[in-house]
Amino acid sequence: MSQGPILELRGINKSFGPVQVLHDVAFSVYPGEVTALVGDNGAGKSTLVKCIGGIHPIDSGEYLFEGERVHVSGPRDAAVLGVEIVYQDLALCDNLDIVQNMFLGRERKSGLVLDEDTMEEMAAKTLAGLSVRTVKSLRQHVSSLSGGQRQTVAIAKAVLWNSKVVILDEPTAALGVAQTAQVLELVRRLADRGLAVVLISHNMNDVFAVSDRIAALYLGRMAAEVKTSEVTHAQIVELITSGRSGELGLKNGNGAAS
Amino acid sequence: MMRAGPSQEEIRKHNLGTLLRHVHLGGPTSRAELTSLMGLNRSTIMALTADLTAAGLVREELPRDTGRAGRPSLVVRPETARVYVLAFEVGVDRLAAARIGLGGVILDRREIVRERGPFDMGQVVGTLAGFARQMRRRTRDDTVCVGAAAAFCGAVRKSDGLVRSGPNIGAEEVPLAEELSRRLQLGLPVSVGNDANLGALAEHTRGVGMDCRDLVYLHGDVGIGGGVIVNGQLLGGHGGYGGEVGHMIVNPDGRPCGCGSRGCLEAEVGERALMEHAGRYGEGRGRDGVRDVVDAADRGDVVAQGALQRVGGWLGLGVANLVNIFNPEMVIFGGMLREIYLGSAAQVRSRIATGTLAATREHVRLRTSTLGDDATLMGAAEMAFARVLADPLEALSRVAN
Ligand SMILES: Nc1ncnc2c1ncn2[C@@H]1O[C@H](COP(=O)(O)OP(=O)(O)OP(=O)(O)O)[C@@H](O)[C@H]1O
Ligand SMILES: [Mg+2]
Ligand SMILES: [Zn+2]
Repeated sequence: MSQGPILELRGINKSFGPVQVLHDVAFSVYPGEVTALVGDNGAGKSTLVKCIGGIHPIDSGEYLFEGERVHVSGPRDAAVLGVEIVYQDLALCDNLDIVQNMFLGRERKSGLVLDEDTMEEMAAKTLAGLSVRTVKSLRQHVSSLSGGQRQTVAIAKAVLWNSKVVILDEPTAALGVAQTAQVLELVRRLADRGLAVVLISHNMNDVFAVSDRIAALYLGRMAAEVKTSEVTHAQIVELITSGRSGELGLKNGNGAAS
Repeated sequence: MMRAGPSQEEIRKHNLGTLLRHVHLGGPTSRAELTSLMGLNRSTIMALTADLTAAGLVREELPRDTGRAGRPSLVVRPETARVYVLAFEVGVDRLAAARIGLGGVILDRREIVRERGPFDMGQVVGTLAGFARQMRRRTRDDTVCVGAAAAFCGAVRKSDGLVRSGPNIGAEEVPLAEELSRRLQLGLPVSVGNDANLGALAEHTRGVGMDCRDLVYLHGDVGIGGGVIVNGQLLGGHGGYGGEVGHMIVNPDGRPCGCGSRGCLEAEVGERALMEHAGRYGEGRGRDGVRDVVDAADRGDVVAQGALQRVGGWLGLGVANLVNIFNPEMVIFGGMLREIYLGSAAQVRSRIATGTLAATREHVRLRTSTLGDDATLMGAAEMAFARVLADPLEALSRVAN
């Protein structure tokens, strides 16, 4: 697992009008690993992820994919690279069934027209491949699913197209304990099958339960990128709340980069 | 003394067992794959497959869909519906039985809640024998039972399946294997193993630890059990009592343990500790009680959160010791420890980060069980299949007569 990063950002800056939200951010994501992205409310996690997904153009900085510099200027560019993002609002259509949702917006991408049976088979294979057993019928409307099942469908949709990087923005925030457990296990399974996974969460137990690395954003700056096996809960909480913890973190307490 | 090389017959027996094990664990496998997996030539694989097919242990078929042009290689699949074992579980809160087909498929199962109270062997064995009878009555005539084994929540002697102790179920010196063999009347001896040892075996052969040669499985029931796999083999110890990590002392002068000691991992992390710290002892039992605490913690109950943090800290200390001693590639949390780990992972991993050598922890993967509540039954099934996998034709001829 000591391969290089599949996706790497260097020196990313991003402003909305006069407000700079991301400052010189570096961020690396590795195949086969779960990287947890943590930080206080407003630290810039969702913004960073939207830059990766091509929703927000970056002002400056480098975006490397599999070691090559790339330009991602829209969600399509990200999808072509194999980068998929599951946003917290999920963007599933309530009045469509599971299969229709999983193929929504993708019908024409590959140029070939898929018939319903093939789509259903692909959806079923994807869910089975993720060991998802909680969904009874694939022809069920998404509106009839529980929060955890919706999250599962959204994740399955993200991995259906041989994606290489899957980014999940607070997938467990709205879920109860039992559903959270299932989603966390699914997140872990994705990485164990070789995908690079980014998990955004405010729940430190979720972060420590499944992550291999933790990246902590503080006021739009990357305070530290560490291996989960090498840090304690207290250190991560300090990084989140003050940007530094002992030897780790930003060198200057007011948030300026070292 | 010099030993002569293996005879032709021994080699054939070994190869038959190996081939059967491949399809039992890996599912339908093509002749071509078996040829390369076993490093034998095609005609040998064909002969071995023919023998196993004649015995009714495997079947050869054309693969369902190849998606490729050309003549497809025949697929060898286990006779799951025909060849089965009986697997039992004696847990503190449940008695369970399953009929599990070659290939590890649960074909049928029965389960009842066990009331907590003194251990009554007659009742336990009677219940399990009843389950077995019901399930066997529903099988076709051409099916064959090739083994039986039980998982028990306590220390079990390897040589004869005698239960030495099970503090949480109130059992001591109980000849469980002997009694089960007598009551089941299968014409087969029934093996008995420690539940967490068997859970480890199951996760190693079919679960999350499939690719790991070194792992530690921790099973939370009322107490904490453990199973350690070292270089692909279950660590049994001299008498079969190895891996009793629940009685590793993590807190000298800590809480009293059912085994008579103090501060055992099980005393600090088990159900009773969690429920007492949460101020809920006696309110809910078993998995439901534990789930209620984790649920309350998630919804902001600070007492429940504190209870999970305390328990998580001790669990982390226990795991840190195990990581230093065994340098496992994976630590698996099963039974109710799944919920406890997920609900206290920040504490657990902080302890591991500070309490282990960097070299021993760097590649440890912490995972929850994928077999869940079936892990112990699946492990018992593997134990029951051991005989037929060691010598397929001999084992089969013995049950046929
Ligand atoms: N489209 C936008 N226009 C202007 N400001 C924005 C926009 N999106 C985000 N911001 C600002 O950027 C900062 C970072 O927001 P972001 O949503 O990335 O934080 P976050 O780390 O995801 O927080 P949370 O944990 O609350 O989701 C905030 O101050 C926010 O108000
Ligand atoms: Mg956000
Ligand atoms: Zn003890």
